[in-house]
Amino acid sequence: MDTVKAQQWLIGIFSVLLIVSLLIVAGVEMKKTRTFKPEIEIDETTAKCINCHEKKGIAVKLIDEWKESRHAVMGIGCYECHQAAEEDFDAFRCPESEFIIGKHPTPKDCNQCHEDQVKEFNNSKHAAAQIMMALKGPDRNVFQPTISTKHGCEQCHNIGNYWPDGSIGECDACHSKHRFSLKQARHPETCGECHIGPDHPHIEIYLESKHGNLYVAHKDEWDWNYPPGEPVPFSAPTCATCHMSATRTNKKSTHNVSNRLTWESQAPFSVRTQEYWGGISWQEKRANMEGVCYQCHSQSFADRYLLVADLVNLQYNEIWKATIDWMNLLKKYNVIKTDRFMYEGDFITAWPKEGYDEEVEHIAYRNWHHEGRRFRHGAEMMGADYTQWHGIWELQENLVKIIEYGAEHGVPEAKRWMNSKDPNKFIMYALYDIPGSTWGPSALMYRGQMPMDRIPNYWEIVYKNVKAAYEKGLLTDKQWALYEEIYKNKDKEIGRIYPLPELHEELLKNLNYDLKKLYPEQKLTLTPFNIPFQKGSGY
Amino acid sequence: MSWKEWFKERFPIDYQKFVEFNERIFIKEPIPVHMKKWFYCMGATPLILAGFQIITGILLMFYFVPSPEMAYESIRHITEDVRVGFWVRGLHRWGSNLMIIALLLHMTRVFFTRAYQKPRELNWIIGVMLFLVTMGLAFTGYSLTYNQLSYWATTVGTNLIREVPLIGKWVFLFLRGGEEVTANTLTRFYYIHVGFLPPLLIFLIALHIIILRLHGVSEPEGFPKGYYPFYPHHFYKIIIATLFLLTLMSTLTVILPPGIGVPADPTVTPAHIKPEWYFYPTYRFLKLVPLKVGIYATAAFMVAMTFWPFIEPMIAKKKETRIKTSFAVGALTLIITLALTIWETIAM
Amino acid sequence: MSHEEAKQTRRSFLKNFGILGALTLAALGFLRNLVLYLFPPLEKKKYHKYLVSKESEIPVGKAKKITIGRKPVYVVHLESGYKVFSGICTHLGCIIRWEEEKGRFYCPCHKGVFDKNGTVLSGPPPRPLDEFKVEVDKKLVFIYVEEKIRGPWT
Repeated sequence: MDTVKAQQWLIGIFSVLLIVSLLIVAGVEMKKTRTFKPEIEIDETTAKCINCHEKKGIAVKLIDEWKESRHAVMGIGCYECHQAAEEDFDAFRCPESEFIIGKHPTPKDCNQCHEDQVKEFNNSKHAAAQIMMALKGPDRNVFQPTISTKHGCEQCHNIGNYWPDGSIGECDACHSKHRFSLKQARHPETCGECHIGPDHPHIEIYLESKHGNLYVAHKDEWDWNYPPGEPVPFSAPTCATCHMSATRTNKKSTHNVSNRLTWESQAPFSVRTQEYWGGISWQEKRANMEGVCYQCHSQSFADRYLLVADLVNLQYNEIWKATIDWMNLLKKYNVIKTDRFMYEGDFITAWPKEGYDEEVEHIAYRNWHHEGRRFRHGAEMMGADYTQWHGIWELQENLVKIIEYGAEHGVPEAKRWMNSKDPNKFIMYALYDIPGSTWGPSALMYRGQMPMDRIPNYWEIVYKNVKAAYEKGLLTDKQWALYEEIYKNKDKEIGRIYPLPELHEELLKNLNYDLKKLYPEQKLTLTPFNIPFQKGSGY
Repeated sequence: MSWKEWFKERFPIDYQKFVEFNERIFIKEPIPVHMKKWFYCMGATPLILAGFQIITGILLMFYFVPSPEMAYESIRHITEDVRVGFWVRGLHRWGSNLMIIALLLHMTRVFFTRAYQKPRELNWIIGVMLFLVTMGLAFTGYSLTYNQLSYWATTVGTNLIREVPLIGKWVFLFLRGGEEVTANTLTRFYYIHVGFLPPLLIFLIALHIIILRLHGVSEPEGFPKGYYPFYPHHFYKIIIATLFLLTLMSTLTVILPPGIGVPADPTVTPAHIKPEWYFYPTYRFLKLVPLKVGIYATAAFMVAMTFWPFIEPMIAKKKETRIKTSFAVGALTLIITLALTIWETIAM
Repeated sequence: MSHEEAKQTRRSFLKNFGILGALTLAALGFLRNLVLYLFPPLEKKKYHKYLVSKESEIPVGKAKKITIGRKPVYVVHLESGYKVFSGICTHLGCIIRWEEEKGRFYCPCHKGVFDKNGTVLSGPPPRPLDEFKVEVDKKLVFIYVEEKIRGPWT
């Protein structure tokens, strides 16, 4: 059919199709996002600096960085931060102009605009970072040559630098000059510049946790430049999310990283933090942190997780006490010479004052400074491997090494310990425990021959210890209530009352098959070389 | 006084005569009955597309800046920032591709219905010229986007032209405005693309249509004699074709939007460079044979194609033989062209 | 006209009307896009803060000249607070001068005089000096300037 009428219908049909296609075009157009960079308008003074610097090729890249910053858009140019008076410690007369330049802006300069941030920082443990390194610790002051610590300890502890102008801190440690990018400061790798390595492997703990895994998978989808002070729009937390950023309950973000920390868990002895740091009690700090956790987790999970982490901290203290007790015993028998591994008042110091000249001194030091921290921080930040193999395993191994050293040098208590065949001998300290697992009840998890089976009145004593910690004020009322509830449900929590699944027998059978059949079957006898020390050779 | 009279007084044209002329030339133009078949009436497609190309081309000129620093940036600006800019660019880009397809189909149809026969030889030659002008427009237009691929296509393309015997070097210098691809090359390509070739195209189209109208549409054998007026039947066909083409180009633009590529970098040649698909047969052919042979052969082919209406009668006295030879040559050309295109497409 | 014929006519009228309507709509849609393409969107102006001075820099009754981009701007410290004026005379665009001893602005081109509040005292200027919105935050004086887009297209 090819009539005029048919033609008219075709016109109608194609008109409609064209309209549809134009509508789709309009839809695409609407969905299109356009990102524009704001134009920067440079003031006269800054223009002078930039023109000359670019002509001479001095620090041009830093100027490019500044041009990308929010500062540049807001008219905060060179002189606003680099202004100085003749007598300032970093004053420098620019040879090409009449300006006196401060070569190193300090928090005093940042404070002109970022008053709250500087104040918060000054009240945080970051501000004390240099005290820790400069005044204490024979590891830097006695054991190592100073030059080696300049690009070592000093580089990171510089975050709490004491400037000649009286200000404390180095904002650039996290907010790299001159771009001061939110995106960069918010990345975990920024914290990881320093919070890394055997003594505080926080970036490693983070990256091996579920949180870090999600960060690696999804960071490209996240809006890293969201406005400060708003709840974090990420699908998993970064370092800043938990320790600094605003939450739904705690609206304000903070530059006081101590604001949500309830343990001094870097110290030789874990203590609940005092009110000075952050200006609030540790219970309030805990409430702040709970506000973070509850954004994603159920309260029942988060509370239980934190309770177990707290008990790990308390348990660590007992292990540390045992370490000190053994060291003091070794000292009593004159096996070690140091006079500083001892209780000082009610507290315990951690360094051999004279430096590290005996193997056991290294070990004792590492038991809090390396292994002890890994154990505690792993348990606080979901780094299972750090709680386990880099944590408690090494703590225990170190204790054994100390005792072994004592036994070799004739300490009778150590010899007795070495000769004992009692499996309970490894528990040299009081225990905390909580029935069941944080990760859900299991019919199998606690079926092995465990301390609770070997030690009479295990649970009654453990309960008493937790209660003692609560009564000392080291656990909150809420936590004690949760502990009691779990304790009451002990049988269910431990899970032995539940039948094992049918599959269990089959799994067990196959594991036994591996052990009893595969290994003997695949064992080989090879021809030895005829050389000394090789087993089966003629020698 | 009505506005009509007011106007007639100031523009004293014989209105009656104008109406009559219009009726005779357009409304009642006698169209042979075989044109009712869609297959035979697609000669208007390139014309419609040329119209769209002119509209979208003018629109693109509102934003495009022909300088090495700004060409790529302005293309990016049109595509990413300007409202419906991607659509206008998409229409222009797809329009150029469709125009070449339409021309190839039109030429094939004309060839196999032997519509180029005496006395219409000249119109075939004008048609071939139109095809070449279109290819020229496509080549120069592609260069203007100034991304890596287009930059290197320009470099390689102009280098090839240099190898053409006799005139090659001069055409090369004329196009590049120097030995190297520079800002001069870009401005020249821009002028050729918007200032030189389009008027030439319009002039040749006009000539093509005038000659067509003077002869009347050629009528292939095997159809009953008879005519019908241009309006409304054929007029509607053109509207349908227009709507269809616009819908097609819009949809293609949404599905395969025009990219902006990587900015041109004269120091790095990309790993895989290829011209646009319509140059594939030539490109592949030139890769197969020594360069000089390839260029002479291509030139010979072009000459043969252009003057085919005059060559064909010389082949044989007998009409049957001529038709058979002509069809064989046409079919062979088609097969070789297709084969080379497919080869180049699948070859990395 | 029979009943059937009337129905026929009505139907064909509806058909033609529908087709013509669709065709018109399509053409309008096409034209709309062309207009959108040609005319830049009129967007609401956005402003952001721009630091012009520290409070300690300007005593009461004094003024400071700065440049933003290449445009002159005066920051005046009055008893009532800060005022920030464009340094461009509202008459014919010359750049005004601050006369400190008289506490007024003076345009050398046609002897226009403005007081420290920007109002015209004498001369040809038709209206007071253009003023920026001012905000003092932590001893820093900010004004609100229009946000422009960076790139060769501004």
